[in-house]
Amino acid sequence: MRGSRLALIAAAAALAVLPQAAQAQRAAGLRPDSTSLEGGIWGSADKAEAAARTKADVNHDPALNAYVRGVTCKVAADHCPDLRVYVLDRPAFNALVAPNGYVEVWSGLMLRSTDEAEFAYVLGHEFSHFAQNHTLVAYNAAKSRANVALAAKVAIAVVGVAAASGATTASEAQSIMDATGNLIDVVYLAEIAAFFRFSREQEAEADLLGQKRAAIAGYDARSAAQSWRSVMAETQASDFKRVRESRSRTSVFESHPLEAERIAALDKQAPSLPASSDRGRERYRAAIRPHLSAWLRDDLRRRDFGQTLHLIDRLAAGGEDLGVLNYYRGEAYRLRRGDGDLGRARDAYLAAAAQPDTPLAAWRELGDIRKRDGDAAGARAAYETYLAKAPQAEDAWLVQDSLTSLDKGS
Amino acid sequence: MRNALRAVLPALAVLSLAACATITPAPAGPLKVGSGANVTLGRQWSDISLVMPGRHKKVRVLSIDGPLLNRLYLTDGLAPGDYLIKPLAKERPTPLVRADMSATERMEFVTDSISAMDYQRVTLAKPRPAKLGEASGVRFDVSAQTAEGLEIKGVAAVAETGGKIYVILYLAPAEHYFAATLPEAEAVMASARVG
Repeated sequence: MRGSRLALIAAAAALAVLPQAAQAQRAAGLRPDSTSLEGGIWGSADKAEAAARTKADVNHDPALNAYVRGVTCKVAADHCPDLRVYVLDRPAFNALVAPNGYVEVWSGLMLRSTDEAEFAYVLGHEFSHFAQNHTLVAYNAAKSRANVALAAKVAIAVVGVAAASGATTASEAQSIMDATGNLIDVVYLAEIAAFFRFSREQEAEADLLGQKRAAIAGYDARSAAQSWRSVMAETQASDFKRVRESRSRTSVFESHPLEAERIAALDKQAPSLPASSDRGRERYRAAIRPHLSAWLRDDLRRRDFGQTLHLIDRLAAGGEDLGVLNYYRGEAYRLRRGDGDLGRARDAYLAAAAQPDTPLAAWRELGDIRKRDGDAAGARAAYETYLAKAPQAEDAWLVQDSLTSLDKGS
Repeated sequence: MRNALRAVLPALAVLSLAACATITPAPAGPLKVGSGANVTLGRQWSDISLVMPGRHKKVRVLSIDGPLLNRLYLTDGLAPGDYLIKPLAKERPTPLVRADMSATERMEFVTDSISAMDYQRVTLAKPRPAKLGEASGVRFDVSAQTAEGLEIKGVAAVAETGGKIYVILYLAPAEHYFAATLPEAEAVMASARVG
């Protein structure tokens, strides 16, 4: 058994010293030979990209796509022609890059970035995965680890069988074989844990490189950590305990570092980067403003209303778009229907109604809530305002029906 | 070991029952949906309820050419707390029926449930008065896309009576299938008796 312990220690040590995440940056405009390993990986990514072009949630707004490409090119610099960016209307905070330069930016990320500097940091992070060949490096590292793990498993099995054959009783032999099996399982788990540790190292590297690229492009480096602080705060605002507790402790099987670790690393690096106070808040908001309403509607469909309300509070902090934001705040409360939520929804619709940019549906919803409250006069006023402002609305007859039922006292 | 077997046996029994889940014919003629709804089918459909993921026990799903090509959702009375689509996890809830839903919210319940079926860009159009039997309700058109981008069209009717809501929803690809089965789906809607 001493031999199998030694084999395990050797395997763990070998798994630990295999290639690290750090890698030299790829040259701009480089397309690998299609017969190479990297060329094969690119070929698979090309197919995924071709399939993605026809997906239902691709956002085709030329202005938004031009804006996103512009920010991407600022952080990618010479590599700009290597990247193809697609905006997808998906409500989660996410972006990703494929090894062939295909980039997905999800609307949930754009909705949650406070300004262009935060957005540029995330794009810089994704671009760094591409520039550092992270997929290829991870593939090679996993292959090396698999070879080492296989050798360790064989060594453990050989030592275990030899030890079992020397046992004096059947039960002793069985115990040795059980222990051998357990050790092989440990090597297997160590292999998986090493895969995830490597992934975390790549993510941490992409964080720091992304922050650096955004700073070199002229953005405030402090904004990178701010984006993770916002993610942490929104997680804590979730309606669900499991979500609130999801990122409070680390695990060897996590693919990404904890947000708290990312913030600490980014805060530490920020003072060493070029100083700038440019966050591009106004131009960023102008770019996403036409999509605020649709993206908030998508976010409501996740039905984690605590998170959506937290997000709306952040978006409203600057005092912009208050008609749209208060309307969707009302929608979140109306859909959640917790204690007191309908009253909060009514107040939010009222706040929306005082703004020039409120969706007309705010008056219809206000009418419905007042009708439920028994406020017939208030309901009537809201319904009549809706019909006056939207006489051609497809649901005008429904609102007229509601008015009629008020007249009948039902 | 015996205790472990005792704990596992019910799960195995459920699994073996699930393995028997199958598609059954729904012949032309009257079809009962639970205890509170009836429709008349003009032709034979297939009852695919048991193979549809996330189906509530009060919901029956019929198809002619398969679930990707046409679906007809028929519900018994959905009471407060019921859903059209069962959530996959507590943290991923699906729309619930509420006790005090407005007509607009009843339509929203249907469209948000369609979104929960993983359809994208679900929109409703042309809401108009409709009846399911004696119950007054709303009928409206639906458009959506599959995740891969296939255009989907639909028509839905939703009505409330006795504190429960009843839904009939027909969905099919816009290309060929929607129009091909629409007359039959409309006839089923017209035949509905609820409450």
